[in-house]
Amino acid sequence: MIVGSNLRRVYGKGSVEVRALDGVDISIRKGEFVGITGASGSGKSTLLHLLGLLDRPTSGSLVIDGVEVASLNERQRTLFRLNRLGYVFQDYALVPELTAEENIYLPSKVRGMTSRECTRVCRDILGLVGLRERVSFLPGELSGGEQQRVAIARALVNNPAILLADEPCANLDTRNSTTILELIRKLNKDLNQTVVMVSHEDWHKKYFDRIISMRDGKILTDGNQENILITEPG
Amino acid sequence: MLEEEQVAFFLASRLITRGNKGTILLTIMIIAMVFVNLIFLPSIIAGIVVLFNQQNIDYSYGNLVIEPRENQLVITNVAELQQKINRVPGVVASTPRYTGAATIVSKGKSTTPLLIAINPDDEKQVLKIHTKIISGDYLNDGDTGQILIGTTLAGNKDQKVDRTPTLGGVDVGKTVEVTFRNGVTRQYRIKGIIASGQFSVDSSAFITRKELESVLGTTDTANQILVKTKTTGNEDAMRITLMQYGIQEKIWTWQDKSADFLKSIVGSFDIINVISTIVSLVIAVVVIFIVIFINTVYRRKQIGILQAIGIDRSIIIKSYIFQALFIFASGTVAGCALLFVLLQYLTASPLVFPGGPVAPVLETMLVVRAIASLLVVSLIAGFLPSWLTTREDILSAIRG
Repeated sequence: MIVGSNLRRVYGKGSVEVRALDGVDISIRKGEFVGITGASGSGKSTLLHLLGLLDRPTSGSLVIDGVEVASLNERQRTLFRLNRLGYVFQDYALVPELTAEENIYLPSKVRGMTSRECTRVCRDILGLVGLRERVSFLPGELSGGEQQRVAIARALVNNPAILLADEPCANLDTRNSTTILELIRKLNKDLNQTVVMVSHEDWHKKYFDRIISMRDGKILTDGNQENILITEPG
Repeated sequence: MLEEEQVAFFLASRLITRGNKGTILLTIMIIAMVFVNLIFLPSIIAGIVVLFNQQNIDYSYGNLVIEPRENQLVITNVAELQQKINRVPGVVASTPRYTGAATIVSKGKSTTPLLIAINPDDEKQVLKIHTKIISGDYLNDGDTGQILIGTTLAGNKDQKVDRTPTLGGVDVGKTVEVTFRNGVTRQYRIKGIIASGQFSVDSSAFITRKELESVLGTTDTANQILVKTKTTGNEDAMRITLMQYGIQEKIWTWQDKSADFLKSIVGSFDIINVISTIVSLVIAVVVIFIVIFINTVYRRKQIGILQAIGIDRSIIIKSYIFQALFIFASGTVAGCALLFVLLQYLTASPLVFPGGPVAPVLETMLVVRAIASLLVVSLIAGFLPSWLTTREDILSAIRG
């Protein structure tokens, strides 16, 4: 599903050079729920940005869903993001002037679905995230947890190969965070959805199949639940 | 491709209907004002040109002006020629004139205006000077010893008010002394004062042809015959018709006669017009650009996120172009409404110019040109800021 070899991402030059990623090798199989953890500045978000095609590696190879993404031009990268990736942002990143349904409608319409098809899919997916009653609500009328669920629905609407989530619970309280994590976990299990999620919360680890821990732009540990000690919140 | 436009339109429509309505309304009003400004001044200028043209026809030239043949100073056998002209299909009437300079003296004030000898009854068929008598009466065909004076030539008692040499404020009933080019001097009683609004008429004096012929000792001569035709606008065709009917004298249209004067006026107005148009368009570009630019900067993060979830930048750019087009269309419609009200008002209460009342004249090409200019401006102002913002690196945009 995802194979990254010797991924490097360097910002700046000379004395101000920062190695955000320093020779990362990563391999993720279909259906895995992978958590990427680490302290601030460890390179976890940089890695997710590369996997989400929001940034390009300075060097190294990255193959996603059988495609060497480094060779894609901007338009191809946009299409790749649209068709094969779903991205959930920390701060929901919904268009405030669009209703919950319209926020989801947008990427599905761009993909070429008919308006009727879009509406059906949007309603289904809002039902899946438990917001069927909130279709015509604007983001400002929804709680943080509900907004993030809309964002997840938007990320899933085009049935992506990989769902990428960049600290999706960072702005949520524990109760809403639990809802979101359980939702993502459910999607992973029920739909066999590959999920890569960045988190710095220790208690999130229990939801992950596999945890990649990073430090200073390198992978520190890479293992499954059995090897990880989890501290519950509070 | 149509899918892209549909999505861009969908996005634009939601951003407009659910965005800041105050900003949108203000921008629309500014565009409406710019639209009015693009059209209003040229339409007033067109109104002035129409006024001048009509004045030239009504008070100076009629539709056609017949002048002596090559190398001849006067037209002879005028009565016969006039009959011939009047028989030509399309001709309503004609009037012979004899124009020349003469010195007029009143109470020590002396000036040398144009003196025009006319057949008053014929003149009434061709021109409208007889309707512009503000004091006294118009001439009759048999009048001798009487003169009509233009109001500018008559002047004011307070000569500081006069900008040209005048007779110092003469009135009807007073006597002036006229010295002709052949040295003959005669006394004339002022029968009427003319105020046509046209400088060349209002600074002239008029006597009958009968009177002038008695002074010059000529008969049946003139140096102009003015012709009124049934319709205005087909003067070139009428000139050819007259030639076909055997008129061998020089034939000019009123446009030929007033070309230099009008060119100079229209040329001057055109300069004002061009400056005003450029300023208006620059204002329009700047306003739409600033609104869209602030909008895109404000939505920079959102634009980055839209790109991150797979919305192509071309869709985002198009959505901003659609927004600019909406502002353009609404501004144009609002501008048309404003203009309609303004034109209605000014048609009912025309602006008063020295030459007469001026109502704005709306030319279709002017409206088309204003709409096209604003459309181009809107497209540029919609495209440029969104293009610049979407060129930015996605992560930088998302980070704001």
